[in-house]
Amino acid sequence: MTNNKSDIIIAIFLLCFSGVMINDASNIRDLGFEGMKADAWPRVVLWLLVVMSSVMLGKSYLKFKTVSDKDNENFNINLAKFKNALICFGMFMLFLSTLDYLGMLIGGILFVFGLLTLLGGFSHKLIVKHLLVSILSIGFMWMVFTFGLRVILPEGEILRVW
Amino acid sequence: MFDVILQAGASVLLDPVTLGLMGIGTLAGLLAGAIPGFTIAMGVILTLPFTFGMSPIQGLATMMGVFVGGFSGGLMSCMLTGIPGTPSSVATTFDGFPMVRSGKPGLALGLGLWSSFFGGMISAVILVALAPQLAFLGLEFGPWDYFSLIVFALTITVSLSGDNMIKGLIAGLLGLFAACVGEDEINGVARFAFGSDHIRQGFAFLPVLIGLFAFSQLLSDVEDSAKAKAPLMKNSAEAIRVEHRKAIATVLMNWINLIRSSFIGIFTGILPAAGGSISNILAYDQAKKASNNRNEFGKGAVNGIIAPEAANNATAGGALIMMMALGIPGDIVTAIMIGALMIHNIIPGPSFIQDEPLLAYGVFIAFFAAHFFMVGLQAFALRLFLLVTKIPMYILASVILAYCAIGVFALHNITFDIWVMFGFGVIGYFMRKLGFPLAPMILGVVLGKLAELNIARAIGISDDYSLFVTRPWSLFFLIMAIVSVLFPFYQNAKKDTLFTKMYVPISMILLALPLFLMGSPVRMVVGGILLSAGCYFIYKRSSILKTI
Repeated sequence: MTNNKSDIIIAIFLLCFSGVMINDASNIRDLGFEGMKADAWPRVVLWLLVVMSSVMLGKSYLKFKTVSDKDNENFNINLAKFKNALICFGMFMLFLSTLDYLGMLIGGILFVFGLLTLLGGFSHKLIVKHLLVSILSIGFMWMVFTFGLRVILPEGEILRVW
Repeated sequence: MFDVILQAGASVLLDPVTLGLMGIGTLAGLLAGAIPGFTIAMGVILTLPFTFGMSPIQGLATMMGVFVGGFSGGLMSCMLTGIPGTPSSVATTFDGFPMVRSGKPGLALGLGLWSSFFGGMISAVILVALAPQLAFLGLEFGPWDYFSLIVFALTITVSLSGDNMIKGLIAGLLGLFAACVGEDEINGVARFAFGSDHIRQGFAFLPVLIGLFAFSQLLSDVEDSAKAKAPLMKNSAEAIRVEHRKAIATVLMNWINLIRSSFIGIFTGILPAAGGSISNILAYDQAKKASNNRNEFGKGAVNGIIAPEAANNATAGGALIMMMALGIPGDIVTAIMIGALMIHNIIPGPSFIQDEPLLAYGVFIAFFAAHFFMVGLQAFALRLFLLVTKIPMYILASVILAYCAIGVFALHNITFDIWVMFGFGVIGYFMRKLGFPLAPMILGVVLGKLAELNIARAIGISDDYSLFVTRPWSLFFLIMAIVSVLFPFYQNAKKDTLFTKMYVPISMILLALPLFLMGSPVRMVVGGILLSAGCYFIYKRSSILKTI
């Protein structure tokens, strides 16, 4: 996925990120004590990040200028290649957003079932298999953490009402 | 001291619960090491949530089992199917797989198993002997020296982590920055919280590590739809009876290779971030160079199996030496272990062995004992491995993603930790895709707070910044940092340049200087040897240059 174009974009992103954070570092309170201030170390780290990102930008730009146009055009973001990763991001975000309502048990089962079905396929046989895997795996883990390790996992609004 | 060792031994070896947990840990490690796409670090990460409710010694003994088991697990898949289970068993494939194909699978597995065992035992002895001495040395360190040591750990991680050093440095700096977020340790002032109370508390260490490493790895594992749906291994393998006696005799007959490879493993483990993935190839290469039958290598040579397997298990001992003595992680796995210790309110460092002798010696004993479990459980693990490899990756990844969420929640019982894991998982995934090495970032996260604390202490004690270069240990680590930064250039430079000829001797001469400043007779002798060797190499190489 990497080439000079992508490195240029990343370097610019990192420079913007460092700029925002350096700007926010000025909001860090100074308590007036002797010794190193709270904003000193992050500023050092961020300025080093600026330097490194600039070097990366310069190097990538020089390479971009020297290699042939054909090589530079090879970079195109093929979203289909990241389909499964994007499905995982989406499902995990959905799982986290609904955790307060569904709880870890129901939410976890739905997350695993949804993810398995989206990644593995939709046939009847597979759906039954995915349902079994999700109920057994999450049910087992929920029992181990709740009863074995005494961790109070999020119950969720639905189970709380019941 | 002897009664402390006895007590520590009793707390590990006479407690059936600890022994049982260690056995389960070793089995989990063997499986995690064997399954391609999984790594030892992943095994330790997945075991970690279960250790929250355990006593520190039980938790560490369990993880020690995973650690040791993981290094040996890789040999099962690489020998039986030709696919290395972990990067630390890549070189084992070169001769292990051909030996299995030539009809000696029992001997091949036995050689791998017993080389791992003996390599681990040698490193365990060195660990017990060296770690307390190194910790004693560490007590000499002031904040200036500690800060410089961290700088060295980060630079060497960057220089060993890949081709693109700038990306490695950026990854390390991002890790240091992530450790800055939240209240600072010295004044308790909020930093980069953007009004969020959760961020004000800072990012918990383990959700960040699990996100960066495990979450992003799982996403990479399911990226290719066809591969994700297929069983983990297409090549079927059968359970095999290991030829223990013949293997032990063969390994011991090749004792020079065994010891050399073990020491390569230990040394590589001591270097921050240089783990089993490097040591197994280094040891294989040295075994091949030292062998009279070089042509046999690649066709099922006995020494081609002994060298990488002894080295990768010995790496574990080396990495533990740095963790136990100085609190600096030797690799990603020990970085996670430091996180596990912190959960139990234990901060590893030079005073760790003195302050917590029971725990420290318990870890040493657990490291020894885990090797016996590893040998005992290999046959059972082999059967389990054959079952697990029939499961497609997408099923394993989906279940483990949910498990990561549950495990991370169990850490502080707050949902925000799962969001942190998710956020860093996304960052880790894209960093992998964009060619940024993750090891420097992980070390940056682990060492960030320690670096800030030590530089703040140093400035608090004295505003004389020259102490960073006038204190011998600090100067020593800074020179090491410069040497490690230049190392990739040395590797990539042409052989006959002045730089490549002078890099090693000048490094030796420069390193001799702080050793002389330390004043101790032993260190001055070491410094003298380095200085003489450096001058000798310069003399020899400059005369070669003149002839050129």
